[in-house]
Amino acid sequence: MTCLHGFVSAVPDIGSLQRAGNIPALIRHLNHTDPSVRWHAAEALGTCGQRAVPPLIEALQSRHVPVRLGAIEALGAIRDRRAVDPLRAIIGHQGMLEVRLAAVLALGEIGSPDAIPVLVPLLREPDRYLRYGAAIALERLGWQPDNGADTAFLLIARRDWGAVRHLGSAAAPSLKVIFHDRDPETRERIVTVLGQMGDPQAQALCRTALKDKSPVVRWKAVLASMNCGLASYDLPLLLAARERTGPNPAAAALLNFLFLGIGYNYIGKWWGFPVFMTYMCVLVLAQLAMGPFLPYLIAYPLTALIGIHTYYLAERMADI
Amino acid sequence: MLSDLFLQKKTDVGALMQKRDISGLIRVLNSRDPGIQSAAVHALGDIGAEAVGPLVSALKKKNRYLRLGAIGALARIKDTGAVSALADMMRDPVSEVRWQAAIALGEMGSRNAVAPLLSGLEDRDKYVRYGSALSLWKNGYQPADEQGWAWYYAAMQDWERLCTVKSSALAPFLNLVRDTDRDVRIHAVRVLGDIGDKGAGPSLIRLLGDPDRQVRWEAALASQKCDVPPMFLPRGLCQRPRIQKNPLVAGFLNFMLPGLGYGYLGKWWGIMIFQIDITVTVWLFKAEGESNTYILLFPLYLLLAVHAWYLAKNMPEEPA
Repeated sequence: MTCLHGFVSAVPDIGSLQRAGNIPALIRHLNHTDPSVRWHAAEALGTCGQRAVPPLIEALQSRHVPVRLGAIEALGAIRDRRAVDPLRAIIGHQGMLEVRLAAVLALGEIGSPDAIPVLVPLLREPDRYLRYGAAIALERLGWQPDNGADTAFLLIARRDWGAVRHLGSAAAPSLKVIFHDRDPETRERIVTVLGQMGDPQAQALCRTALKDKSPVVRWKAVLASMNCGLASYDLPLLLAARERTGPNPAAAALLNFLFLGIGYNYIGKWWGFPVFMTYMCVLVLAQLAMGPFLPYLIAYPLTALIGIHTYYLAERMADI
Repeated sequence: MLSDLFLQKKTDVGALMQKRDISGLIRVLNSRDPGIQSAAVHALGDIGAEAVGPLVSALKKKNRYLRLGAIGALARIKDTGAVSALADMMRDPVSEVRWQAAIALGEMGSRNAVAPLLSGLEDRDKYVRYGSALSLWKNGYQPADEQGWAWYYAAMQDWERLCTVKSSALAPFLNLVRDTDRDVRIHAVRVLGDIGDKGAGPSLIRLLGDPDRQVRWEAALASQKCDVPPMFLPRGLCQRPRIQKNPLVAGFLNFMLPGLGYGYLGKWWGIMIFQIDITVTVWLFKAEGESNTYILLFPLYLLLAVHAWYLAKNMPEEPA
């Protein structure tokens, strides 16, 4: 493993454990509270050679994330092929992103071609870090895509948007798959590339992007749609079909109907709570004077009207 | 503010100017009305050197608006005798005051202003840095070396020219990557990647734990251009702040105050459940008595607590 000089401060204790070849102690230090000690321990384990492989593989089962991360780093440095299967298992398990990413990168470090079938599908992952890690690892393994789709996925994973655009229509299906990325910046880039390509096949994706929950993606989709030949009069209709990100009008109305004021608070009016407290005080006093039910009979028609007003108030709130 | 209302009614800057009432005009500087404050600044500036002494004394006042106005007036007077007092203001805790001092020092046309302005290039606030750079430019300052140019371009946020500096001039970046403005951090990270210096590695690994998602991603991309081993990416990323609701807090809230645990998890109907519970509890107290109410409701509260805990536990984590 590349030396960490400059990255971590020297920890003499780790050095002596390394010299003594005390692998269990080094593994214990992978869970140290100080990140620099953890990183130093991982580096030391990476120099312990093949005899450290079985305990490190065992450490992959630890419930502590830093231990798993450190063990993967060390296995990546030792480059023993016995680690390939356990690392493949980690990638398959829907666990923590950092652990999966470390396993992907470690497979690239180990250099076994057995890892390629696991890494190639990761280019289609909805997480950009995993895609990027897989691209780095596959590059280390000397893998070359043998079809247009894999080429497009690799270029997308490497964020080589210029090259993706150069692929033209062939990249459109891959861009469609990656559009499910949870990161809005990636979706924004994809829509922009599609707009630059001006491919009519991209219309379906533009339609989806116009309903995206991110306002930036929606705007980029408007710009791209024009280039992809989508009728301009369809754009407002598609945009209106988006999932609303603002307050739910029905919820606001129901809250104001049952608990006058809370609905206003829900749609962001600071005075909602004072209104609610006043309403409750009046209601309790009225109940003391008139009995338990009559105040409700008087209040509910009034709060129903206010509820309807709140509904329209919430609906008019712009979230475009 | 009430005091301002009184001040606006009573303040006649023109009359004070006619009387050359310097202390009166200085008092007006703490007005919250920018129009009145600006008129007082201009009036004091027109009075000239006679006002310098009282204005320098006013710089020691606690009121930030007064200090800002006094510096503005000194900038208009352009008396080089105020340079050392203005240089002291470059250490003021309020960033607007430091910015104003940087602008004022630029107006002085004195060589003595260069040293405090150079320290302003290293300020933690981008406005102060920008003001200092502009003032230096106004005074014909030319950095003597690569490092000086790097500080200057960084302050001007001239990212294109900053890319051209040699890798030995990385010091300004340590300042930029700690900026509170995410856009500054993003640009700084991109430039670090474009320069591609190995020395930037430790900073980039730290930035993988940045609170902003896009800064983290840019740091990941830049780190690869700076030859940071890919295996270090997961360990850096692992340091990112995790914004996740605490399942125990959600459970505890729902047990003690049923519904508020849901509210804590962002469910709009949590407050409704809370209100329903209060109403039901009050009626049960009246109908069934205290102990029977508790016997009836506590198992339900326990269920609600477990449900809130379960919901929080299974909430998806924010993407990296």
